[in-house]
Amino acid sequence: MDTTQLLKGVLDVAVLAVVAEEDGYGYDVVRRLRASGLEEVGDASVYGTLRRLYSSGALTSYVVPSDEGPHRKYYGINAQGRAMLDAQRKDWHEFAGTMSRLLTTTEGVR
Amino acid sequence: MSASTRTRTADVAGYAAAVRRHLAGLSPEQVDDLTDGLEADLADALADQDAHAPGGAGAGVPAHDLVGRFGDPAAYAAELRTSAGLPESGTGAGGLGYALRSPVRALREQRDRALAALRPQPWWGPFEEFARSVTPLAWFARAWVLYQVLRVLLTGQALVWMPRSFGGWVALVALTVVSVQWGRGLWQPGRAGRRVRSVATVVAVLAALPVLASVSAVTERVQVVYESQTVGPAPQDGVVVDGVPVSNLFVYDAEGNPLEDVQVFDDRGRAVRTTFDEGYDEFALPGFTEPWSFLPVVDEDGRERWNVYPLTGAPSTEFEWRDDGERLLPGGGRTPPPPFAKAPSLVLAEGDAIAPRLRDPLDPASTPSGAAVAPSPNGTPTASPAPGPGATTDAGGAEVAGPAQP
Repeated sequence: MDTTQLLKGVLDVAVLAVVAEEDGYGYDVVRRLRASGLEEVGDASVYGTLRRLYSSGALTSYVVPSDEGPHRKYYGINAQGRAMLDAQRKDWHEFAGTMSRLLTTTEGVR
Repeated sequence: MSASTRTRTADVAGYAAAVRRHLAGLSPEQVDDLTDGLEADLADALADQDAHAPGGAGAGVPAHDLVGRFGDPAAYAAELRTSAGLPESGTGAGGLGYALRSPVRALREQRDRALAALRPQPWWGPFEEFARSVTPLAWFARAWVLYQVLRVLLTGQALVWMPRSFGGWVALVALTVVSVQWGRGLWQPGRAGRRVRSVATVVAVLAALPVLASVSAVTERVQVVYESQTVGPAPQDGVVVDGVPVSNLFVYDAEGNPLEDVQVFDDRGRAVRTTFDEGYDEFALPGFTEPWSFLPVVDEDGRERWNVYPLTGAPSTEFEWRDDGERLLPGGGRTPPPPFAKAPSLVLAEGDAIAPRLRDPLDPASTPSGAAVAPSPNGTPTASPAPGPGATTDAGGAEVAGPAQP
């Protein structure tokens, strides 16, 4: 199964979860997602998702100047983002449960 | 190592720039927002790769490895863009259609930026409201210009303000309906429909000035024709000889001597005039290359009289214009040369027979005007006694004219 397609649907909630854990800048979020097992995640997809969540008001943002090289843009979660994360987490659990039951049943039938 | 870090920095900057180029469809703010910190992220990702790659393989990643690691900048930009929830660029970035439409996009961006700058202005609100209220006029104007463009393309005829044929009216009305429907956001199915509308609007905007210019040029030509036509039937009054209006009259007495300052009235006492524009007209006189203008004679009541012949005047170039628009002739008018120095004299023997016949129908107490003008050569005693003092032509003429004028 092409997990990149599955990932697209859940990237928002994944990014929200990572940022809710701790503020992070673009690549930092990518690294933590990969460390969590989402190896297939694309850099640009994560950056775009961060910008989208930020413009929709779910994230805050601040720039941290760097001594060496370019500055880093950090993202943190806010109340709206937390509410969104909670809702999507609930949706995910329901959906995952449904899918699990469905797949288990079909497996049993076969 | 430091050398490779420097080349790495340059590579990262180059890759980031390539990504930004492929985001060209977005506004600068959106591009900045999307790629802010991109260099740092790219550099971190590469540093991570170095750390994970064992041995020398990852130590000096050459330039093309950024593409190997992150993929084609165009794909990277597309991913960034879609995941950020921004619309994808129409065709593949960098394609021909993309390049063709980029000026349009640039114009749109400039328009958006200009609008964003104007909106905070205090006068913008009322202005925008006003502009919105008159938008329907623009719909009509678009239809009219398109009608003119189509008419020229299809018939090649000169432009006119409004159609002159039934078919033309049908076409104009149809275009107007379409234009208004477009304006109301209707009748433009899908992208193709919107494109037709956009092209039509652009054509109308571009053609507006040339169409207006040529239509008004045509109108001017027509007006010139009208003016020259009105010149013909204008002189309803005046003295006509042989079908040609006469500019001046020369009067001779019974002996054939020329008379001056003769007042002429018709049988109802109306002044007989040859000129009607208070002296501004110019007349070609026989024997003169320059046209002449004439002057009135002022009577004792201060009225300007144009029925005193021969009219005096001068070539038009000798007149001077006062600041208030009045014309002046500094040296006064001269009498134009008469056609003959002397006219044939009448046979006086028959004059006796004529004279009573002239006088009979009139009241004997009043003086016939024909006799009143006669005195200068002979000083006819019959005409002058009533006015008393007037023995000269001027005085006698003025007194006779007084009662005759309505």
